[in-house]
Amino acid sequence: MNPSINSIDELGRREFIANAAKACLGVGLMPMAGSYIHNSVKALTPGARPATARHVIYLNMSGAMSHLDTFGPQVNNPEIMGDVKTIPTSADGVILSENLPLTAKHMHNAAVIKTMVTSQGAHEQASYLMHTSYLKRGTIVHPTFGSWVSKLSGPINRTIPRNVKIGGGRGSAGFLEAEHGALPIGNPKEGLANSTMADYLDHEKFGSRISMAEKMNVNFTAQYNQKQVRAYSKLYQDAVKLMNSEDLNAFDITQEPEAMHELYGTTNFGQGCLLARRLIENKVRYVEVSRGGWDTHDNNFEAVANNCTDIDKALSGLLIDLEMRGLLKETLVVLTSEFGRTPNINGRDGRDHWPYCFTAFMAGGGVKGGITYGEVDKIGRSPIAGKPIKPEDLNASIAYLLGLPLNDVQYSPSGRPFTIAHKGEPLFDVIA
Amino acid sequence: MIKKSLFLFCSLIIFTSLVCASEPFRIFKTPQGQSLEGRAVGYEGQTFILADKSGKLVQVPLRALSVEDQTYLIKAAQANKIPRGRPSSIPPPPSQITTPSAESSEVVSKEVDLLLDEKPTDIVHKPPAPKKVTFRPGSFFGHVPVPLGVSPEEALAKAVGAKPKPGEAIDFDRHVLPILKERCNSCHHAPFDRSGRLVNPKASLRFDTFAQVMKGNLDGPVVVANDLEKSRLYSVLNLPEDDDLFMPPKGGPVDEDQIDIIKRWIMEGAKPSKDGISATKGGIPAPDEPVSFHNHILPLFEQKCMECHGAPFVKNSRTIKPRAGLRLDTYEWVLKGNLDGKIVTPGDHTDSTLHRVITLADDDPEIMPPKGGPLSGDEITMIKRWILEGASEQPAAEAADPNAPPKVKKVETVAAIVDKKTSILDQLAKRASTPSKSSLLAAEKTGALVRQLAEKSPLVRAEFSSFASEVKDENLGAFSGIKNNISHLDVSRTKITDRSMSLAGSYPNLNWISLRNTKITDNGLTQLTKLQFLQYINLSGTQVTDKCISTLASMKSLNEIYLWNSQVTESGAKKLRESLPDAKIIF
Repeated sequence: MNPSINSIDELGRREFIANAAKACLGVGLMPMAGSYIHNSVKALTPGARPATARHVIYLNMSGAMSHLDTFGPQVNNPEIMGDVKTIPTSADGVILSENLPLTAKHMHNAAVIKTMVTSQGAHEQASYLMHTSYLKRGTIVHPTFGSWVSKLSGPINRTIPRNVKIGGGRGSAGFLEAEHGALPIGNPKEGLANSTMADYLDHEKFGSRISMAEKMNVNFTAQYNQKQVRAYSKLYQDAVKLMNSEDLNAFDITQEPEAMHELYGTTNFGQGCLLARRLIENKVRYVEVSRGGWDTHDNNFEAVANNCTDIDKALSGLLIDLEMRGLLKETLVVLTSEFGRTPNINGRDGRDHWPYCFTAFMAGGGVKGGITYGEVDKIGRSPIAGKPIKPEDLNASIAYLLGLPLNDVQYSPSGRPFTIAHKGEPLFDVIA
Repeated sequence: MIKKSLFLFCSLIIFTSLVCASEPFRIFKTPQGQSLEGRAVGYEGQTFILADKSGKLVQVPLRALSVEDQTYLIKAAQANKIPRGRPSSIPPPPSQITTPSAESSEVVSKEVDLLLDEKPTDIVHKPPAPKKVTFRPGSFFGHVPVPLGVSPEEALAKAVGAKPKPGEAIDFDRHVLPILKERCNSCHHAPFDRSGRLVNPKASLRFDTFAQVMKGNLDGPVVVANDLEKSRLYSVLNLPEDDDLFMPPKGGPVDEDQIDIIKRWIMEGAKPSKDGISATKGGIPAPDEPVSFHNHILPLFEQKCMECHGAPFVKNSRTIKPRAGLRLDTYEWVLKGNLDGKIVTPGDHTDSTLHRVITLADDDPEIMPPKGGPLSGDEITMIKRWILEGASEQPAAEAADPNAPPKVKKVETVAAIVDKKTSILDQLAKRASTPSKSSLLAAEKTGALVRQLAEKSPLVRAEFSSFASEVKDENLGAFSGIKNNISHLDVSRTKITDRSMSLAGSYPNLNWISLRNTKITDNGLTQLTKLQFLQYINLSGTQVTDKCISTLASMKSLNEIYLWNSQVTESGAKKLRESLPDAKIIF
């Protein structure tokens, strides 16, 4: 048979007809083929499906984690891998580097995207792109992903914020209302800073001060009845509400038993993950935990091994804990960084910036377990199988799992339209 | 006689051609250097129509020509040398074309044609007919053309209006419409296109069909059956002539007997023609008459729904699509529904979104139509009857009783639902009806957060996110209005006790329950055995003991059980695993 006819078959009969109709007749088959609608169309329809994930814990490896020495190792390739070996995991055919022995036991619940790519090779810009799905511009501050989640998911919790970041990192609400910005927590062990009443104040006195402040503000708020002004006074009210609420306990990890601290590891990151778990138990929608120290231009292998003992324990502790509490099914855990590191090892035994391929780890909340997506060539330089997944695609996948509308347009003050994941498309291969 | 009129006609042609011929050929140039040899044969606004020597017509906007040509044409037009308007026929070229430039001018004219943006004008409607020319009585031209199959009287009535015989009921098509056509239609016409501009009716009021007359405009209807005072169509005719609102503003008042016809028509109920020239359209069918889609349903949709749910159209070069992707302009589209599914289930109005959205409470944000008030009781009954009669395009053989129970009732056994491979939530969603906004708000009164699983899903997730520790048994009572809708119930960290479990056990569609960190005991769990669709139960951090194992083991629908940090022992968990081998049991 004519080979060109065979290749038409590869396209899929329906796609072929749809394309032909579009091209030749100027019509889409959409209205006729109600039952045959690609998933990506459904994803764009707001609220078309029940969400599979309710919460996100986003573990941000700031400074660019070496993907080769963690989630994307190569087998038998000492030229680029150095002395790092691979180990099997609880999922068939999925391997990890030997730096992550504890996480390896959870891979049946997790998916690894091996073909992440980004267009930015500098930390600041790449991290901005990762968090906002938009390129950094001088004229606008885009909302971070957590702020989008907070904005689009509506009021899920009336006292504690919907969006929290632990251990530094990006959390600005951009042009969205300030209430959607991330609540920053520097040190997880100290909980929420400045949330207790000053010693010299009692409740009565505090109440009278607040009401006096409100009286003074009456004229101002009436005169400038604007989004920003309202957001500020709302922030104030929310803070006071939070101070008097029992929900404040969510921020106090000292209430956890010793065994719990031990499970996550007593490092800042481990405790941050513990706090993140406490927060999502209290229905915080989006928690980001940052861990720096990954910019391993020098002495890569020692530094990565050190970092890995920390994140391995914290990540596996988090996954165990969530599973025990029955929360893993509705909590999406994501671990990724702004870009990867070079396959070739530089003269100082380090690895430099590599935006052309890196990895993202996803587990829980509606993610297919025990799979990897995409393949990388033998020299570890670029994807050879699977689509290149851009930061906005990753964010679109998270938003899809959360059931958020990818086509909900929010306008910046200058009237320009923005969406939660820019033009990203969800990666349905990793979605259960 | 014929010879005479032929002579007149010929002399008319000769006269016009004489006027046109006075315009000589000359070369028109554009600033870009293109040129065309021709003569102006007419103009419309700023557009001149030129004819080249072969008689081909070319439209040229004045601006596209050189300044010299512009001034020439303006002067010529002012001197009435160029006739206004588009020439109806191409005037014959005055002389034989033998000039060598003929070929080149054709080439150029093509170029000019390309240069000019000749917009295709799609005419929305025909403009209203010009004022009737009156012929002397008995003239041949005074005869009314009679289409085949129409009785001459009706045709005459439509064209010139018929006077109702004494005692005869007023017929809209025969008696009223001709008056409106004669006196009102020149301003209150259907929108039409005049040289690229849409000419809209004055005051957005159209008097060209029955439906349009009844529709009125943004200020409300102009005809209210049996009420002369509220019928503005009637009252404006009777105002003093110097009143601003007096109608018609030109041509003197409407004749007394014509006003009388309108008055009688309104007092007789402002009905459409029963068996007139046009088919019966609009209105409500008699109780024993089967509902016709084309004559009853579609006119109602046209009047109430199609402003939003019509066919896509182009406005200001943007395509305006129907709201919610839903079109109601043809039978096929109505039955097709939109991406959310069908809106009509033939034979079952309870399952038809179309019927549901028009019967919602007045203050419900989802009620249709969203503006202009809800449909009347008769209209709702008509739609209900149409669905009950099978929602077919042709009227059913027999009229249905609107109070009869729906014919199609899906009886699905519990086992069938669980066996289906499709998601159980999809199946449960079909068992519940969409909760009203007010019942959701009532459920949230006690601090709960109640959200639909998805925008169009009738199932809801109820949870206590803020101040959970202040929630007690009493608060669950707030969910009584959405009992059938709750599929996910999260009472973790609250102060509820076993007392609430009988309530939770009565939510028929409960699929997911989290009792994490509550004071629930074994006794409370026994209340949940009635739940046939419960798949997920979270008991971590509760006081349940091994005694609950037998209860859990009897709930065969469970596939995820969380018992961590409870009083259940190793042996208890083992027993449970044996009785529910397929379930995930976290201990």
